[in-house]
Amino acid sequence: MDESIQTVWNEAQARANEQYYTQRRRITVDPITRLEGHGKIDIFLNEQGDVERAYFQVPELRGFEVFSLGRPAEDMPQITSRICGVCPTAHHMAGTKALDDLYRVEPPSPARKIRELVYNLFMLEDHALHVYVLGGPDFIVGPDAPPETRNVLGVIQTVGLDIGKRVISTRRRLRESIAYLGGKVVHPVLGLPGGVAKGIAPEDLPQFQEVAQAGLEFALFTLQVFKDVVLKNPAYMDLITSDIYTHRTYYMGLVDDKNRVNFYDGKIRVVSPEGKEYAKFAVQAYLDYIAEHVEPWSYVKFCYLKGVGWKGFMDGAESGIYSVAPLARLNASEGMATPEAQKAYEEFFKTFGQKPVHHTLANHWARVIEMVYAAERIVELVNDPEITSTNLRVIPTVSPTVGVGVVEAPRGTLFHHYETDEDGILRKVNLIVATQNNSARMAMSVEKAAKGLIHGGEVSDALLNKVEMAFRAYDPCHACATHSLPGQMPLVLSVYNASGKLVHQQKR
Amino acid sequence: MSERAGRTLVLALGNDLLGDDGVGLEAARQVAGQVDATVDVVETGEAGLALLEMLEGYARALLIDSVVTGRYPPGTILEFSPDDFRRVVAPSPHYAGLPEVLEMARRLELDFPYEIRILAMEVLNPYEFLLGFSEPVHENLPRFVQRALQILGEWRCENSPLVIPPR
Repeated sequence: MDESIQTVWNEAQARANEQYYTQRRRITVDPITRLEGHGKIDIFLNEQGDVERAYFQVPELRGFEVFSLGRPAEDMPQITSRICGVCPTAHHMAGTKALDDLYRVEPPSPARKIRELVYNLFMLEDHALHVYVLGGPDFIVGPDAPPETRNVLGVIQTVGLDIGKRVISTRRRLRESIAYLGGKVVHPVLGLPGGVAKGIAPEDLPQFQEVAQAGLEFALFTLQVFKDVVLKNPAYMDLITSDIYTHRTYYMGLVDDKNRVNFYDGKIRVVSPEGKEYAKFAVQAYLDYIAEHVEPWSYVKFCYLKGVGWKGFMDGAESGIYSVAPLARLNASEGMATPEAQKAYEEFFKTFGQKPVHHTLANHWARVIEMVYAAERIVELVNDPEITSTNLRVIPTVSPTVGVGVVEAPRGTLFHHYETDEDGILRKVNLIVATQNNSARMAMSVEKAAKGLIHGGEVSDALLNKVEMAFRAYDPCHACATHSLPGQMPLVLSVYNASGKLVHQQKR
Repeated sequence: MSERAGRTLVLALGNDLLGDDGVGLEAARQVAGQVDATVDVVETGEAGLALLEMLEGYARALLIDSVVTGRYPPGTILEFSPDDFRRVVAPSPHYAGLPEVLEMARRLELDFPYEIRILAMEVLNPYEFLLGFSEPVHENLPRFVQRALQILGEWRCENSPLVIPPR
């Protein structure tokens, strides 16, 4: 890297930050203190020891947009995939699709299928990680279990060593398949405007088909584990459907031409809290539908539906707050495009007896259903006659101006928006990451859980874990905004009494 | 995994778009030019379960990373063993999950390094998009690299050559 370029970027960065801090200082409210690379939940009690307010905050990596300006747009799929090690493939794919749009070029059908294959491999692997490692312990081990067992080790203890081994080996094979096509999982180099860099050699196809079959068996097995452990336990079902974990909001997700869930492409569909279609639009129009609200106490902006408006942190059709991620995708669609997933989808809504389902913890079940869909879609794609085609690229010919791309990241809708000069040099960059789309509902979820669980000043580890469960269900990856680990984001939970004194603190 | 048997892994953690956060990656690149063919040098921005896959099969592993403990001046070189993270709340997000990963490897009877050491540098600001290192990190980088080579050298003395002696 040329040192003078480095200096210019860093100076621009420093200016942007200074401006940011100046704006923040003006509106910062005590007693929220600075974040230091970890998430925070601050719970404020009143005189009676009940919860007056609870704030959930995440740190944010600042300055990515400034960092990108002046670079060639083609670099974005690589650079954005390095924002963090959590969902590199999602950023890579959203970036690649934004480049397709920027250069007005449609990838040939085999290239599109390769992308969709890689994307579904990634979704399956990432969801499996959450089910077994990050969010799963809340249910598989139990929400009241002591913290030292409420982790992946406790999961293995509960489900057995063989299953543990199966999780590890399936995950490894899925990742190897992604690496075959995209290079390193963390720094994929697959996507190019108008296509992909690599296809599948016919002689290697059998190994993909084998992995696909193993992946499908694994997903169906996971669905069975979920049913056995969670759905057959009335106490868990009561917890999932309890009011403290329920919010009636809008839901957003990508759908195909039959309004079925699609992770890779389609139109963005939004349904109201009553389940009616509120909007359906191509990603290029996203700014007509989505706006961002700023709160003095948080670094993260809160997205809401422009047409409905920001009415504060409240539920209902009058409030523009919407949700993304697995539950939202199921709610915003009318079905799944593969048979086993469709069956599971129908059972899901039948069990709850409502659509949309408003229970935040139902995200865990929705995630497993999505694993089944991803796995079935992988099987379809590796058996598609076109999948070994070498027709992988259409070379762009037009001058670039604006490009917008979207995918469903594991944690929800992810937008990439680039504007360039005629040489493809970036002049404007806007990313809306999944967790930002979810941030308003997540803040409400944490506060509602805290208010519902903490009474008379009594705080225990089990209670506080149940507060955390309210946001863990969303699988919050703030890593586009932080480089923290998936779900194991260091979290500091503090409880303050009515005089503002810290009475309880725990760190994870 | 058999191609890893008996070998040593130098695993660098970090993100070089995040200023000081990338110090482990830079150190590893410098180390890579000075070790023999029995050492694999790998860079990653991942953590958690991915570490399991990366470590599996190696005889020994040296992790190189940045940390923010807030207790030492930036540029300070720190050494940990995986056991330390059972007691310490992860000073770097990269480690969250490392104790679990090791425990999991043990319970699942995976072939795992019998020795793992962690070499880390206290850094200033790993939370902003920046290129290049802060002054104290930059200044201490050569010592950081030297210490990594020294550890690899100690391991060499215990069995086959790992570090090529400087000419």
